[in-house]
Amino acid sequence: MGKQVDILQGTLDMLILKAVSLGPLHGYGILLRIQQVSKDALQIPQGSLYPALYRLEHRGWIAAEWGESENKRKAKYYRLTAAGRKQLKSERQEWKRLAVAIGDVLAAEPEEV
Amino acid sequence: MLAQVKSWWRALTGQSRLAGEMASEMDGHMERYASDLMARGVEPGEARRRARIEFGSTAAAAEECREAVGLRWPNEFGRDLRYAVRVLRKSPTFTAAAVATLALCIGANTAIFSVVDAVLLRPLPYPAPERLFSVARHFQGKGSESYQTNLWGSAWEAVRDNATYLDAAVFSDGSMGVNFAAGGGVDYVKQQRVSAGFFRVLGIKPLIGREFSMNEDRPAGPAVTVLSYALWKRVFHADPSIVGQAVTLRGEPHIIVGVLPAGFRSIVPADLWTPLRPSRSGEGGGSNYAVVARLHSGASWAQANGQIEAIGAPLMRQYGQDASTRLRLISFQRGLTVDVRQPILILWAAVGVVLLIGCVNIAGLLLARAAGRTREMATRMALGSGRAALIRQMLAESVVLGLCGGAAGTGLGWLGVKALKALTPASLNLWQAVDLDWRVLAATAFASIAAGILFGLYPALAASRLQIRAALGEAGRAVAGGRNPWPRRLLVTSEVALGVVLLVGAGLLIRTFAHLRGLNPGFDAHNVITAELSLQDARYATSQSVNRLFEQSLARMRELPGVESAAVTISLPYERALNTGFQRMDGPHVDTESQITNMFYITPEYFRVLRIPLLRGRVFTAADSSISAPATVVSEAFVKMYMPGDEPVGRHLDLGGGEKREIVGVVGDVQQKSGWGDGAPTAAMPDIYIPAMQVQDKFMQLVHTWFSPSWTVRSAGPAEGVIAGMQRALESVDPQLPFAGFHSMEDVRYRALSQERFQVVLLGALAGLALLLAAVGIYGLIANSVAERTRELGIRLALGATVPQAIRSVALPGVALALAGVIVGSVLAAFATQMLRHLVWGVRPGDPLTFAAVGVGLLGVAAAASFLPALRVTRLNPAETLRQE
Repeated sequence: MGKQVDILQGTLDMLILKAVSLGPLHGYGILLRIQQVSKDALQIPQGSLYPALYRLEHRGWIAAEWGESENKRKAKYYRLTAAGRKQLKSERQEWKRLAVAIGDVLAAEPEEV
Repeated sequence: MLAQVKSWWRALTGQSRLAGEMASEMDGHMERYASDLMARGVEPGEARRRARIEFGSTAAAAEECREAVGLRWPNEFGRDLRYAVRVLRKSPTFTAAAVATLALCIGANTAIFSVVDAVLLRPLPYPAPERLFSVARHFQGKGSESYQTNLWGSAWEAVRDNATYLDAAVFSDGSMGVNFAAGGGVDYVKQQRVSAGFFRVLGIKPLIGREFSMNEDRPAGPAVTVLSYALWKRVFHADPSIVGQAVTLRGEPHIIVGVLPAGFRSIVPADLWTPLRPSRSGEGGGSNYAVVARLHSGASWAQANGQIEAIGAPLMRQYGQDASTRLRLISFQRGLTVDVRQPILILWAAVGVVLLIGCVNIAGLLLARAAGRTREMATRMALGSGRAALIRQMLAESVVLGLCGGAAGTGLGWLGVKALKALTPASLNLWQAVDLDWRVLAATAFASIAAGILFGLYPALAASRLQIRAALGEAGRAVAGGRNPWPRRLLVTSEVALGVVLLVGAGLLIRTFAHLRGLNPGFDAHNVITAELSLQDARYATSQSVNRLFEQSLARMRELPGVESAAVTISLPYERALNTGFQRMDGPHVDTESQITNMFYITPEYFRVLRIPLLRGRVFTAADSSISAPATVVSEAFVKMYMPGDEPVGRHLDLGGGEKREIVGVVGDVQQKSGWGDGAPTAAMPDIYIPAMQVQDKFMQLVHTWFSPSWTVRSAGPAEGVIAGMQRALESVDPQLPFAGFHSMEDVRYRALSQERFQVVLLGALAGLALLLAAVGIYGLIANSVAERTRELGIRLALGATVPQAIRSVALPGVALALAGVIVGSVLAAFATQMLRHLVWGVRPGDPLTFAAVGVGLLGVAAAASFLPALRVTRLNPAETLRQE
């Protein structure tokens, strides 16, 4: 059971939180929204979406409810909870800091070191 | 955090719901993706195929989801358990042996623990029981200490007046049968005497009415009584207007002042209560009171105890107590259990040891099994299983074994509790019923799981420590001594050692019991029927009225067909007797201080009824009356203790009051429960007998508050009709007096040793179990080594070794290990039996005979258990064994 511990795991959580912060979505909807907003730049492996959803729900950051989808089929809809909103905010700041730091490193010129 | 626990619990309890949800969620996902693909023009079959491929394995995703919500651990645990059950079912012999061993051990523990819990652990059934205390005399000798809770009247007064941190009350230990007449019927009921405030101290409010007032609880106070709920219901059909009405108790009208609530469990069996009326003289002149006290809120035990010790110091000097005796405050429960605490703890330790032996035994079996599973383990490790997983798997097997054994043990324990209840002396089933309740079940479950881990841990660790290559390459092909045999040998040695400890303990108790049973009773119990009745009765307040009752009823009993003789005594042999002080008035020893002796009043024919032999002088006759010279007959033990080398007949004793009483005869000793002296369960105590005719009114009344006299009747043959005849004879003299029940003297003798019998039977059974387990352990070890060494033995036989030689080489390690176990165990037992010091009579704790018998017996059993499996060598065919592989 080799675990792929890569940077994407934390990032995926953040992307899911962001996606459902715009309104309740089912799993496939989350996938579509991330692809759509990122203009297909981000491809999420479909199988790893659900473990992430269950993990986030288990932590209390998102809540799930069964409802009817657009084509009258039952679907599980996820929405952001108050705790999830807080988490998203802090992850976003974290990400910005990281992005700035990495940007600085990459922008560094030889004489500045 | 809480949200996570809730989510985890929801997931755990709704696993099938969770699985269904996940499946339908993922299916929905793939269908939507497929229809999106179809919308983009992909052909339906291909769209579904692509959706599936791109999603990947739904099973893997589902597994990851389950892990995400914290189900990994319980899932693996469940898998381990299922696998364990499968493995155990594949080796039914091993499983049955292990489960049976555990069931016996855990069953014994369950049964004994139910008694320990009811008597020593479960709090008393009164409000805030931790604030209830006894005032006890604490004796600290070298290496021993003891508590006594009986106190003198003046000690009670000192506690009552000076112990400011305590709300104290006083009661008479034990209860007495008394005659109770209400609504036309006569009944023999149990009465306990308690002071004013007794129920307040316990924290019990009467259901209706009130408890005794100070005014009622003083000498010559008004006659009142408080009823138990059961008596109130039975006799008065729960009529609440009964309070204030009179019932006839002990022949005297008593006003009912209260009824206790239904749930109240008294500390001794009692149907009703009367005021104790404590005083300094009479009853209070002896140590006949017990004190119960509740600590005032805000006060601490240390404060109250300090005060009690200060109050006690002058009192202990005044009563001539040993210098190291102090008055102390001990928990009420401890105070109530001073006599039974130690025997129960010893039994508890003994069942604990049996469980330990059982665990050692199963650990040995598991080690042997692990050897046979080396290849399985190695294969699993080679396939990537971690060592931790293997250990966990094997622990799961032993926990499953533990739980199966625990379940079967609970069944056996339930039977054990039933048997214990039948065997238990009344002193163990009082304020809490001995029962298999949830507390006992919880303890059993805990013991089962703990036992599983205890016996499983070492074998699991040992089995998982292996070299994969070596194990896979060579397992099973070793010629000799491939595996380290020492862990198992050590286990067998330690189990023999523990067995020795138990067997020696049981042996000492058996020797004690045999000694006590073998003591000459001093009388002939055949064909003697006895019945006691309470004379604590206002109509029998004078010696004259009592003696008239004796004379008339005995005369009628003598007329019954088959009856040879009949008499009354204040107490019987094997019962606890009245003790009293006396002084020798002439001869070589003249006393200025009182000596102690047992005393009996009897009617003249008593010695004839019990056939107690006359050794010198004469026994009483009808001529020894209230107007003739005071006479007494003493026992041989009395002469030995107080008049050695002197001619007792003709000497005079003062039994208090200065009256000169002449010794007219000496009779043989009888066995009695000794309330004083060295504390042996029964002994030939110094006795003096006086004629009932010569007992003073006041003394007779006092004696009848503690003792119910017994009618004894000897018949020529079996006692058919005698009992009914005795009943009729009494009724014709006084229809209001009921006998409390009839017993043969053999019953009386049997009952006298009930506590000792209880100990012997239980400890004996436990020691037998230990012996059996040790034998099974040795047998298993040797049988296993024969199986392991088949090839080696085959080679030896082929090379010319004789069969006896081969048998010896296999069996001797078993005997040697047992010998080592016996030596170690004997040393342990020498220390452990010090605990039995107070329970052993007629034999020393270090009794060489017991030690030798246990040693020899165990070695004999060990030899049998070693040679029996070794005999399999005779069935070996060298040629065949060598051709195997």
